[in-house]
Amino acid sequence: MEKENGANVHNKSQTLRYVIAFAVMVVLTVIAFYLVATNVVTVQLLVPILLILATVQVILQLYFFMHLDQKGSGFPILFMFTGAIAAVVSAVGIILM
Amino acid sequence: MAQQEKTETMEHLESATLEGKNKVLGFWLFLAAETVLFACLFGTYLALKGRNMGGPTAQELFDLTLVAVATGLLLTSSLTSVLAVNAMNLRKLKGVIFWLVVTVLLGLGFLILEIYEFIHYTHMGHTFVSSAFGSAFYTLVGTHGAHVTFGLFWIVGLIIQVAQRGITKETAPKVFLSTLYWHFIDVVWVFIFTLVYLLGKVG
Repeated sequence: MEKENGANVHNKSQTLRYVIAFAVMVVLTVIAFYLVATNVVTVQLLVPILLILATVQVILQLYFFMHLDQKGSGFPILFMFTGAIAAVVSAVGIILM
Repeated sequence: MAQQEKTETMEHLESATLEGKNKVLGFWLFLAAETVLFACLFGTYLALKGRNMGGPTAQELFDLTLVAVATGLLLTSSLTSVLAVNAMNLRKLKGVIFWLVVTVLLGLGFLILEIYEFIHYTHMGHTFVSSAFGSAFYTLVGTHGAHVTFGLFWIVGLIIQVAQRGITKETAPKVFLSTLYWHFIDVVWVFIFTLVYLLGKVG
């Protein structure tokens, strides 16, 4: 019983973590849409800002929602990191082709 | 140590068996490969987005409100699917089914919006064959939509299986993988709304 309570408390704090991560993602998304809808920054500045916002949001997804913050995630992180490098090289290569 | 190991498997039922662990590992390899697939489609789209052959441009087509609603639906479904995994590790069958059903409904809403959007664009003269911009756009966004569709069938199937068999060492890795896949769909969508819609709007 005591153990179950412990697990419950643990998962309550987990739920809170998920909701906070979700709230941060919503804020990042709202900032991105706001910047485009209002034209408050120049286009030259806007592109890197949007890319940074997207990258931060994706890292939050990977670590909080896809559980890469858990122990034993070494290989998944290695896979995704390698995949991301291959992805950037492929995408930039195609654009410049 | 043994105690710690036991609580660890108590909390993470998806990796309680070697088979479950291998499934998760293999699935990450798949997701890494999917990242490269989508990167190639993004590269193709960004290279061709100016070739509209006199048809409507990205700036004329895209409606930020519609994209914002679709983004909200998919991002919320990402939260609900992680809550399903949370309920699974608490062994709450009703919770798992409830959150997975909510995830499916939100995903369905997203898909309906996307279909409406495509029909709308087709009427505006932006089709798959109208220009290189059209081909690249529908290939990229359509591949994502196909992933959403597949994910919906997958999760609906799992809801039925979990309802019949309960939360076991066999069903837990399946539910876990389907939610990983669903988060990945949202990850791709983050780049779609940024690179396609938002950057398309600023030109």
